[in-house]
Amino acid sequence: MSLTLAIFTVILLITLGITYWAAKRTSTTADFYAADSQLTAAQNGFALAGDWCSAAAFLGFTGLTALFGMDGAFYALGPLVAFCTVLFLIAEPMRNTGRYTLGDIIRSRMQTRASLLAAIVGTVVVNFAYLMPQMAGAGALVRLLTGISYDWAVIFVGVSMIIYVAFGGMLATTWVQIVKAVLMLSAGAIILVMVLSLVHFNPLTLFADAEQKYGAKYLLPGNYLKIPFDQISLGLGYVLGLAGLPHVMTRFYTVPDARTARRSVVWVMFLAGSFFAGTTLFGLAAANFVGQDAIRVADKGGNLTLPLLAQYLGGGKGTFGGDLMLGFVAAVAVATILAVVSALTLSTSGAIAHDFYVNWVKRGQVDGRQEVWIARVAAVVIGVLAIALGILAQGVNVAVLVILAICVAASANFPVLILSLFWRRFNTGGVVGGMTVGLSSSVVLAMIGPAMRGADALWPLVNPTVVSLPLGFLGAVLGTLMWGRDAENEQRFDAFLLQVHTGVTPK
Amino acid sequence: MTRNGTSIEAAHATVRQLIAEKLSYLVPMAVIFMVGYIGLTILAGFAKDLMGTKVIGSVNLGFVLIAFNYLMSWVLAIIYGRIAAGKFDPLATRAALEVAGRGN
Repeated sequence: MSLTLAIFTVILLITLGITYWAAKRTSTTADFYAADSQLTAAQNGFALAGDWCSAAAFLGFTGLTALFGMDGAFYALGPLVAFCTVLFLIAEPMRNTGRYTLGDIIRSRMQTRASLLAAIVGTVVVNFAYLMPQMAGAGALVRLLTGISYDWAVIFVGVSMIIYVAFGGMLATTWVQIVKAVLMLSAGAIILVMVLSLVHFNPLTLFADAEQKYGAKYLLPGNYLKIPFDQISLGLGYVLGLAGLPHVMTRFYTVPDARTARRSVVWVMFLAGSFFAGTTLFGLAAANFVGQDAIRVADKGGNLTLPLLAQYLGGGKGTFGGDLMLGFVAAVAVATILAVVSALTLSTSGAIAHDFYVNWVKRGQVDGRQEVWIARVAAVVIGVLAIALGILAQGVNVAVLVILAICVAASANFPVLILSLFWRRFNTGGVVGGMTVGLSSSVVLAMIGPAMRGADALWPLVNPTVVSLPLGFLGAVLGTLMWGRDAENEQRFDAFLLQVHTGVTPK
Repeated sequence: MTRNGTSIEAAHATVRQLIAEKLSYLVPMAVIFMVGYIGLTILAGFAKDLMGTKVIGSVNLGFVLIAFNYLMSWVLAIIYGRIAAGKFDPLATRAALEVAGRGN
């Protein structure tokens, strides 16, 4: 416990130092939202890796594999494959078209207030649905790891996040993510080497031991996701939903051009992908060495699997090596949450301050200096709200919100974004239709599903993406057709395409 | 003004060519990773026994296909990077020059 706190205090001091440095370099809106678009491909790649690996990824994948075998490996694989979608369809057009937010792209394509509002709703709903379980998870995790009470843990995480974002903007958020990614990858590398040395560098032994200990069923699919369509729905939600997460899109504004955006995706695919692959081996190793019973005793959901494995590898409970490894992994887990909630807060403040207040309410009539100030205030307000929601969420089932975030991103944001970029006839009616249908079908199906209602579920799938995604596209197409032809919008599409594919705005 | 008008037209034509070029590579690549990954989830859902077929020691077909998906994603990323640098970037640069009125 005290070692965890000591290690974490060091990480906290480093990130606060970074924030102080970043704050002095953050004065314009471009600085605040996009770190003045001056990051390199490697920096953005590390930051994306930091962004992408939430605590659910860092702790959850290992735990799922340890307790449920192959299904955990499916969870870990999804986010990597999702980056193919991001690489092929999202990264470069985002860089070329927008400035700070998803709303920017929709606005520059449609140039209507209704479509901007739809994009704001999509961003805010996804971000809050993602932020709230992160805050609740942070509270539970920090309490478990350090003994601080849940409420104080949430407040502590929230206040740190507000400081990073409000003072240091995107530059501080980015470097917090880079620090976290480096720590996470180092922890992963150390654990991997230690695990492999235990099995004489033959990973096949991990599988053989697990089979011997838990039977062949353990290595089969379906131990966690029992309904076949849930597997497929999860897959769809991943490969398309992660491409619709606003706080990930925002990362592509921090680089100077499309080529750098593309290279940063290749970076993250190797960095995060290696880590994800590692979690499958860590999970098997934990099941073998720590044992499923001990894992369940520590936390029913398996969230402490990785710290427990680290403790075992360091020499076991009560030894200095064991405590050190446990403390290190636990501190990295807290840093992980901090990096993710900061990115979510920054992205939400973009939607509220830049999209809603400046471009919707004030119709763009706000000068730059004032806009930065508004953005900082928005970050503080969102942070306070996140703290309040996090405290209220204690003991509430937040699993449904995680599903909702991914599902809405896949079913509402993704169709609207893709059709905006590629379909000439797509219009304001389509944006509103796609957003409304995608969002409402996700919310309704998640609410009546097993994640919310347990055994009383009116609808069998935990993850409704397999149904709500086609509905979202249908809503977008029907909305477009009902809105009618918009000649001016279609004419503008050539100029928009030029910008999407080259980054040049014809004047 | 006329010259500017024609160079914009030329730029639009170049962009159309760029999009056609992108589609000819991206569609097959997208089909590969969607079939590879969604296919895997369908097999996991509906063909559990097949996925349990032992391949190397205790490692079954499911884990082999998962490993294959990792490799597939990495290889596609590298291939895309090369194609984009070799085929897409020159066209994008040409379109940008044409907008500036200097393209020929």
